[in-house]
Amino acid sequence: MTKVNELLEQFHKVAVSPEEQLKSYLSQGRKVVACVPVYTPEELIHSMNLVPFGAWGAEIEVREAKKYFPAFICSILQTTLEMGITGKYDGISAIVIPSLCDSLKCLGENWKYGVPNIPFIPMTYPQNRNNDNGRAFTKAGYLRVIDDLEKITGKKFSEAELAKSNKVYNLHNQAMRRLSDVLVEYPWISASQRNDIFKSAYYMTKEEHTTLVNQLMDLLLEMPKETSNMKKIITTGIIADSRDLLTIIGENDMQIVGDDIAHESRQYRTDVNESKDALEGLADKFSRMDNCSVLYDVDKKRGDYIAEMAKRTGADGVVVVMTKFCDPEEFDYPIMKKKFDAAGIPSVLIEVDMQMNNYEQARTALQTFKDMLN
Amino acid sequence: MKESYFLGIDIGSTTSKCILLNSQREIIGSSLVSAGTGTTGPQKAYEDILEKANLTAGDISFTVATGYGRIMFTEANDEMSELSCHAKGVHHIFPDVHTIIDIGGQDAKVISINDAGKVINFVMNDKCAAGTGRFLDVMATILQININDLEIHAREAVRPAKISSTCTVFAESEVISQLSSGENVNNIVAGICESVAGRVASLAKRVGIKEEICMSGGVAKNGGVRDAMSKSLGAKLQYSPKAQYMGALGAALFAYDKLNI
Repeated sequence: MTKVNELLEQFHKVAVSPEEQLKSYLSQGRKVVACVPVYTPEELIHSMNLVPFGAWGAEIEVREAKKYFPAFICSILQTTLEMGITGKYDGISAIVIPSLCDSLKCLGENWKYGVPNIPFIPMTYPQNRNNDNGRAFTKAGYLRVIDDLEKITGKKFSEAELAKSNKVYNLHNQAMRRLSDVLVEYPWISASQRNDIFKSAYYMTKEEHTTLVNQLMDLLLEMPKETSNMKKIITTGIIADSRDLLTIIGENDMQIVGDDIAHESRQYRTDVNESKDALEGLADKFSRMDNCSVLYDVDKKRGDYIAEMAKRTGADGVVVVMTKFCDPEEFDYPIMKKKFDAAGIPSVLIEVDMQMNNYEQARTALQTFKDMLN
Repeated sequence: MKESYFLGIDIGSTTSKCILLNSQREIIGSSLVSAGTGTTGPQKAYEDILEKANLTAGDISFTVATGYGRIMFTEANDEMSELSCHAKGVHHIFPDVHTIIDIGGQDAKVISINDAGKVINFVMNDKCAAGTGRFLDVMATILQININDLEIHAREAVRPAKISSTCTVFAESEVISQLSSGENVNNIVAGICESVAGRVASLAKRVGIKEEICMSGGVAKNGGVRDAMSKSLGAKLQYSPKAQYMGALGAALFAYDKLNI
């Protein structure tokens, strides 16, 4: 138990102090590249012996970024830009910003002017990704990223190294998928601790993180499985890392038994097919990704996907963690809600942003939701 | 045998309300203080109801707190969300109600309940004063009208003025513009009531309206808003003169259940 707690504490420290991780990598002489959500080809960056470093904003006050963004734009991007302008990313070699929503496109352009000391590398993805043209378009985008990374960092790309990185990321994906299932059997691990494990993955190399996650799972599986009377919930949304919100989930005796959070499990659903050429394989991976608000889906299957997850995990309900002003998530919500209702799965919507200092409305909503589930 | 008493206290943003039940679940007392969470209002409402019933805190078998200030009220044995309490209170008074529209001092909620009174869906407004009691307070102040008289003015209106339902700050500017252009005050008041009703009716439509519908919370006392809401939803509304106490009543009923179920 002591060792489990030590590992949980290790994940926590990394999750809450990414700046220490950044300093550590830079002091080791490593070059670091910031990776903006939702899907940045970390494998490419990793294969060039660069450290991919997650840039998903932070719970900070936005002041400087307001010069570039209107108020009605998601706080993940506002706070990411704020951190760039205020020097929190100083020392980073470049930032890769994908084009998966309109606000991300704005972030890229604003970054060029707001943070001129950290080069912006665009990653332009196709809307129609799952066909030969889509895969070729994705591959061309990756080639552009590679070209920029080579120029900016002086590092060289090779297919052989990418193949190795694809394997490292596949192993990490598998560990994270397994982790989500293993944690269900240990309800005493809180929603905050679960989030620490997922969040810390953005600030460590995947080799380090996979090792720690596997160690944790091995230790847990030696312990007796536990049942509890907690209500089992699925979370869905872009990000759900607010300490306040996660604490309220715990206070209301709810256990997260699965998630459809972009910042968490959505990252780990799809592996690279290692039998393909490495770069082709990476483009193919993106083409097969699905059930996400920023990935075009004419059939809108995400609601069914979550309903199925709820059935598989025995979840009592779904908590939709809506990032304020996130258009893709807001467009998906009514369709998902209908699917949840049709499947008889209770759901609740909690609106969040990274500048909230009062979670009382969320507390009331979650407390009422708990009453609904009882 | 000594009588048992059950107390519910609803601590809102602007008012504190208490309801006292006896062992037959009959309402034997109520109190209301126009001061909410973070003030002495909750304590005053609590002391007031005990004094009126000639009881002490020790005579109360169980107390449930609800509302925005529920967590901080240390005299309570338990706390519950105001949505669950409003549902419980309204179902007790109007067993056929399936949709509750609760507009309080600083927020609005629409609650869908089943035949047994259990919450099956709900929606809350965002962190904006539009469509809440605060909106009416601000407007009454600008118009120099007593908040309790808004209903009288609204019912005298010939042609309600168009007032934004999106934002209290914008709406305030609009009302000032309407006044300066000579618009009749009654029409402005009716426009304000329609603005509140329109905003909350859109919330209600999100949950899905199932009759019967009831309005609870402090704003339900305003007949102008009730009329406008009924018009917006195209349905008749149930209303109790005790609308403001529904959360406290639900809390008291939950207090009763805690020891009797």
